[in-house]
Amino acid sequence: MSTRVILTIVFISFGLIAAILPEKDYSSQELDAKQLLHEIQVENYMISADEIAEALINEDPEYQLIDVRSEEEFKQYSLPGAINIPFEKLFDEESLAYIDQIARKNVFYSNGTTKASEAWMLAKQKGFQNNYILRGGLNNWYKTIIEPNEPASADDVEAYYEYQARLGAKQFFTGQGAAQSSGAKKKARAPIKRKKKKMVAGGCS
Amino acid sequence: MNPYLAGLMLGVVLLAAFYITGRGLGASGAMKSVVVSSVAAVSRDYAESSHYYSKYIADGKNPMKSWLVFEMLGVLVGGFISGAISGRLKFKIEKSPKITNRKRIILAVIGGILFGFGSQLGRGCTSGAALSGMAVLSLAGYVTLMAIFGTGFAMAYFFRKNWI
Amino acid sequence: MGPLIPLNDISEEINLLVAFLIGIGFGFSLEQAGFSSSRKLAGMFYGYDTTVLKVFFTAAITAMIGLTLFNELGMIDMSIVYVNDYFVRSAIIGGIIMGAGFIIGGFCPGTSACAAAIGKIDAMYFLLGSLIGIFIFGQTFPIWEELYMADHMGPVKISDTLGVKDGVMVLIVIIVATLMFWLGEKAEKRFKREDITKEI
Repeated sequence: MSTRVILTIVFISFGLIAAILPEKDYSSQELDAKQLLHEIQVENYMISADEIAEALINEDPEYQLIDVRSEEEFKQYSLPGAINIPFEKLFDEESLAYIDQIARKNVFYSNGTTKASEAWMLAKQKGFQNNYILRGGLNNWYKTIIEPNEPASADDVEAYYEYQARLGAKQFFTGQGAAQSSGAKKKARAPIKRKKKKMVAGGCS
Repeated sequence: MNPYLAGLMLGVVLLAAFYITGRGLGASGAMKSVVVSSVAAVSRDYAESSHYYSKYIADGKNPMKSWLVFEMLGVLVGGFISGAISGRLKFKIEKSPKITNRKRIILAVIGGILFGFGSQLGRGCTSGAALSGMAVLSLAGYVTLMAIFGTGFAMAYFFRKNWI
Repeated sequence: MGPLIPLNDISEEINLLVAFLIGIGFGFSLEQAGFSSSRKLAGMFYGYDTTVLKVFFTAAITAMIGLTLFNELGMIDMSIVYVNDYFVRSAIIGGIIMGAGFIIGGFCPGTSACAAAIGKIDAMYFLLGSLIGIFIFGQTFPIWEELYMADHMGPVKISDTLGVKDGVMVLIVIIVATLMFWLGEKAEKRFKREDITKEI
């Protein structure tokens, strides 16, 4: 048999396999209104301040905090390790490298939850995975972590432990009191930017 | 070497290029880097003011430190190794016996000028646009391929003396 | 998961080293295919030697099948693999000019570098000509700028244009290519001429 005949048989077999195999697409799929509604109803896109505080203290790399407020607000105050993607720059190419990725959970936050929710909704609609919202935003963060309320009754054991944890977190984040304080600022991790969506230059240009 | 086997080898190299770097192969881009850096060496201000050259030297970029330039240096080395193995290293001018060396050289330069010009307009040559483009099912790749070979066939008759 | 370099933080130096190694493979394959001979390349247009067709399509199909399988196995993210931008007019006109250059000069840029590496003097002049051609384009760019940028269609795939699945498109290309291989070998018999490889 000539090389051509062998090659023809091999190529056509592979071609048939390629044609039969279902199309795989790893890129994001846009959601329609119905799917979006479903996603919103499921309501597992909120992450509590306590969870975030714990993750930050333990240097858990699972979450990437994204501050969707303006640059000025971000400079004044931000959560440790957060990156700033102002709302209007959400779909900039640079921003997409963070938002459209599958490695870490993005947690959007703003002062309240309005801006963060809008950002989440847009990201969701684009079909981007792994985006969440900080429940109650920075206002709630301040109330629960920075200025936690002592539970009214000491009988509520669960509330008591929660309060203790928050006091610990408060020390961590505000640097008041304990020996923890020195490390608090330094521990802010540099955000990991996924290179995933960076386009490759190619051809002869 | 059997052309089909050589094709398989080239295909594996092309696949490796895609798998490792996400881009295919190229050739004319490296030559453009040579031109751009020569122009910039003569007058950087001029190169920066040109619409065409400026984008390759923006922010102090060195056009010679590019992927395609290193790839083409590899092509020279790889071609030399292959020629040495197969005993084909020799200075010579290849042409049909019907034309003179002088004519062959002049035609080579003219052909080169056209190819160089066309590769810039068409955003890539047979390697970067056609071969790599075909592998990723790029429409531009197939169109460029058909334009190149279609023109080749259409004009072949008029230049038959050069080759046959 | 690939492509390895864009997905991982790999330094510029390693990237360039990889470029050099891939280039060696590229140059070696081209030379072994016989692409360092302009008369062999030109043979394509007269039917006496269809090596160009065979090598070109075998290579493209091999890579195409490989990419399809890699994608299927989740080994490569095809969404970041470069697909050439399609500018209708410049692609066609550029291609026509390149085709003329091919039949007149006997090489294309990649093969001329390869041929120059083994001492083909005509290839060295072709390379020189390419540099001049690129320089001319650069100098006269304002004239062509509009044509160069016209009808931008983005990175279009031929499968999208024809409205078929990528896998089906791969099969179509394979069928067309194998038919051309068959025709090519017929042509080689029909337009046979005495072996020129001795002169190469």
